[in-house]
Amino acid sequence: MPPTGLEAIFLANRDKLVRFLAARGAGDAAEDLVQDLWLKVAVRMDGPIANPLAYLYRAADMLMIDRYRARRQEELREQDWVEGEGPEPPPGAERAVAARQTAEQVAATLAGLGERPAAVFRRVRVDGIPQRQVAAELGVSISTVESDLRMAAHALAALKERIE
Amino acid sequence: MSQDRLSPAHGVDTVALDWALRMTDPVSADWDAFTEWLEADPGHAERYDRAAATLMEAEEALSAQPEVPVPVAIAPEPVRRHPLRWVGGAMAAALIGAIGVTAWQDRPQPYVVETAAGETRRIPLSDGSSVTLAGLSRVELDHAEPRRAVLARGEALFQVRHDAQHPFAVQAGRLALVDLGTVFDVRMGGQTRVAVAEGAVMVDPKGAALRLDAGQAVTVDGDRLIQSAVEPQEVGGWREGRLAFDGVPLGVVAEDVSRFLARPVTVAPAIAARPFRGTIDLEAVRRDPAVLGPLMDVRVRRAATGWMLEPRE
Repeated sequence: MPPTGLEAIFLANRDKLVRFLAARGAGDAAEDLVQDLWLKVAVRMDGPIANPLAYLYRAADMLMIDRYRARRQEELREQDWVEGEGPEPPPGAERAVAARQTAEQVAATLAGLGERPAAVFRRVRVDGIPQRQVAAELGVSISTVESDLRMAAHALAALKERIE
Repeated sequence: MSQDRLSPAHGVDTVALDWALRMTDPVSADWDAFTEWLEADPGHAERYDRAAATLMEAEEALSAQPEVPVPVAIAPEPVRRHPLRWVGGAMAAALIGAIGVTAWQDRPQPYVVETAAGETRRIPLSDGSSVTLAGLSRVELDHAEPRRAVLARGEALFQVRHDAQHPFAVQAGRLALVDLGTVFDVRMGGQTRVAVAEGAVMVDPKGAALRLDAGQAVTVDGDRLIQSAVEPQEVGGWREGRLAFDGVPLGVVAEDVSRFLARPVTVAPAIAARPFRGTIDLEAVRRDPAVLGPLMDVRVRRAATGWMLEPRE
């Protein structure tokens, strides 16, 4: 039986996905990663997907972000070790406090941008509501939503620069 | 907030951030263009990673500690301090871009189940609970967290195996629900409604904390929760082909009925707000939608895409 649905789309676009993964930082490992990607996607699939190719690309993108973040964590741990803070992660309570502080800083940064940009960022990025719907909810244009998101993203990136 | 922090001079990579924003939005994501940008310079991938990770960390921080002023409160309380939604961490990640594979630390394994119009489907969960989806409905679940579900669209009946230590949480739009041992039905659309058949449900646990027992229902109307009574045996009656209504606007009735039909029923605006009381036999409507005419005192007209309910002359 020929493959159907997502698998057919995957096979038809395998080369494009490999090219994407290679450009996305996987380099020579792209061939192996595209296989990992398929295994992950195939296991987690249930129900129809509106745009299968975009779904596969997004999953590939997330795979790379995942790897980047894992690498960063590793680097930060090693850095702590070198700086004499020890390799142990802070105990739960301390980590929770640190997380709350970060959350407060993030919330304060967004609040500083004004009510609407903060709301736009939360609705789109945290609640996962499509931009068009958020624009309708707030009675503004899509381009306003886009520029609010951009402003929020820049402010948060600046905050991160400052914290690190 | 001083303006200088926003300036590119302080190391903010506006180009990479723009890509990171764009690629999570299904409408504006152009993967070919993105591939070309990545290929233009080997350093682009890392810049993008950094931008995407920055946004994600901020989102995680926010979703772990939501502070949004909440639109839904029981009347007459105007505003509540606590958020309506519990969606955080894993599920919020699943919602971003509506994509299932995420970078979350607790390795969520989100998946989505959707039904077509007229289809119903029972989804067993690993904790022994189950979700039965009506037609045209969508639920977002996570293998790593079987005690959570997000109803994104339509209607679902939740049959929950109660576990006081691990309450089962359902998010329907902005409405959060926690089971207290139960069978309950959630409908979304023009109105979000929750009706309890057995046991009890806590609505909006962090805010209103309204307890619904068997035979009780609640409708979200703007920023109010309106409580009403239901026949417990009618809750989830759609699984046996029955839909019961007690003073529900025709527009909402049409939306509910349409979930079970191959072609949608719509209502002329003039009568969309008219309340309807009665029980609809879905099988009869499937055979001939014209039966809705005498039942609802409307004229049923065949329209281009489905059926139109109009005022009787």
